[in-house]
Amino acid sequence: MPQIVIYGIITGAFYGLTSIGLSLVFGVMRHLNIAHGSLLMIGGFVAYWAFHLFNIDPFVSILLVIVILFALGAALYKGMFCRLDDLPEGQKINNSMLVGFGLTWIIDNLAILFWTSDVRAVTPAYTGSVVELMSGMRVPLVGVGIVGLALLVIFSLHLILTKTFFGKAVRATAQDRDAANLMGINVERTYLIFFALSSSLAGIAGVVAAVNYSVHPTVGFEWLLKAIIILVLAGVGKIGRVFTAGLALGIAEAISVYFTGPAYREVVGLVLFILVLLYRSR
Amino acid sequence: MLDLREVDVHRGDIQVLWRVSLAAQEGKMTALLGSNGAGKTTLLSAITGLLRASKGTITLHGSRIETRPVHEIVEMGVSMVPEGRRLFPEMTVHENLELGAFARKARNQRQETMDLIFGIFPVLKGRRLQIAGTLSGGEQQMLTIARALMSRPRLLLLDELSWGLSPVATENIFETIKKINRTMGLAMLIVEQNVSMTLEMADYAYILENGRIVGEGRAGTLLESEQVKDAYLGIGDL
Repeated sequence: MPQIVIYGIITGAFYGLTSIGLSLVFGVMRHLNIAHGSLLMIGGFVAYWAFHLFNIDPFVSILLVIVILFALGAALYKGMFCRLDDLPEGQKINNSMLVGFGLTWIIDNLAILFWTSDVRAVTPAYTGSVVELMSGMRVPLVGVGIVGLALLVIFSLHLILTKTFFGKAVRATAQDRDAANLMGINVERTYLIFFALSSSLAGIAGVVAAVNYSVHPTVGFEWLLKAIIILVLAGVGKIGRVFTAGLALGIAEAISVYFTGPAYREVVGLVLFILVLLYRSR
Repeated sequence: MLDLREVDVHRGDIQVLWRVSLAAQEGKMTALLGSNGAGKTTLLSAITGLLRASKGTITLHGSRIETRPVHEIVEMGVSMVPEGRRLFPEMTVHENLELGAFARKARNQRQETMDLIFGIFPVLKGRRLQIAGTLSGGEQQMLTIARALMSRPRLLLLDELSWGLSPVATENIFETIKKINRTMGLAMLIVEQNVSMTLEMADYAYILENGRIVGEGRAGTLLESEQVKDAYLGIGDL
C-alpha cells in the first residue's frame, strides 16, 4: 500500500505541474486556455528532439523548453488572446475557450504534419532505475526528479508572486484591473508576461510527460482533461491548492488501479469532478 | 498645470461630456461639483486615461496626454483616489502602499515616502501587516489616499471621499486632505457630493450639469451664490 501511495504522489506532482499554468491564467486573466494541452505537447516534443538529436538530458532541456514556450506563449497572447481582454468576464471565458479549441486543432495537426502521429518517449539511461527507501519501498529515480521539480516550481512561483514587483502587479491586476492600472501598472504587458510564463509551465509539464509517459501530437488533450479536473477540485489561482488537488487525484487513481485494475482509472477523476460540481457551493 | 479644452467623452455610444474646459493649479484645490450622473467620475476617468476623450485636448504641465496609456499618465504624476476605494482587499496594507509606488520614479524612494505617509496616517503604521479588506471604512479610505500619495503625484484626483463614511470620519478625512494640500503643494481636483464642506476647503470650483460646465468661480464666491445655494445646499429658500 505505501508503494501505491508513492506512485500516486509522483503522478500527483505531475498533475499539479500540468494544471498550474492553466489555473493561474484562469485565476488572474480569466482566460480558460484550452490550448494549454497543446503547449504541453510541444514542450514534450522539444525535450524528445533535444534528447534524440543532441543527446541532451530531458531535465536539462527543461531550460530550453522554458525559453521556447515562453516565446510561443507571448506570440499567442499578442496575436490572439489579448484581443479578448476588454470583454466582460463571462464572454471572455467563453471566447478564450473557443480560441483555445481552434488553436488546439491547428497546433495538433501541424504536429502530426511535422512529426507524424507516432508515440514517442524520452528514455535516458536512468529510466527504470529505482531508489530504495527504508523498509523496502522502491521509488523510481525519475519519480524523485518529478517530485523535486514540482517542489522547485511551487517554491519559485511563490517567490515570484509574493516578493517581486512583477508578482505583486499580477496579484493586484487579478483583484482589480482598473485600480492596478491606476497604480501605473502596465496591465497589458503584465498579462503578456504572465501568459508566456504559464506556457513555460505547460512546457515543463510536457517534458515530464515525455519522460514518465510518452508524447504524441494529440496527447495534449488527454492531459488537459486532468488539468481541468484539478482546476475544478482546487478552485482558482492558489498554487498550494492546485498541487494538493493534483496529489489527491494522483493518489485516488493509484489506489483505484490497485483495487479495480487500470481500466477504471479515468473514471475516478471524472467521478470526483462530478461530485465536486454537485456538492461544492460556489 | 492640468488643462482641459473642449473635451467630449463617450461611454459606449452615449455621450457623457460636452465641450468641458477646466484647469487645476499647483498647490490649489479645485472642486468639481454636480449631482449624481452629471459626469464627474467620467471626467476624472478621462484625465487618467481609463476613458478616452473623443474630442478636445488634455494637457498636463505642457504635454498632451489624451492619447497616452494610463500607466504613462500615472508615471507623469497623476494619481487617483477612485470612488468606492478600490483597494487590493486580499493584500496587506504594506503591499497596497508598495503598489502605490509602482511607477518607476516613485519606486526608488518608496521607503522615504512611506515614512512620510505614516507621519500623516499613524494608524496605518500599526496596521502595516493587516489585510486591507479587514480594515474599517475610515481606515480603508485613509489607505486609499495613502496609496495614491505613494506615487509622489503632482496632481491628485479625489473621487467621492465621503463615500460610505460617517460624518465624523468624513470630517477627519477632509481635515487630512486640507493638511496634505497645504504641506505637499500638489494640485488637487476633488469630486464630492458634500458641497458645502468642499466649497469651504477648495480654492476654485466648477459646476457640472448633464455633462456640461454650467458655472465656475472662486469657492468663496460660489458658496454665497444663489445658484449654488438653490441647487446644492438646500438653503435657497431660507
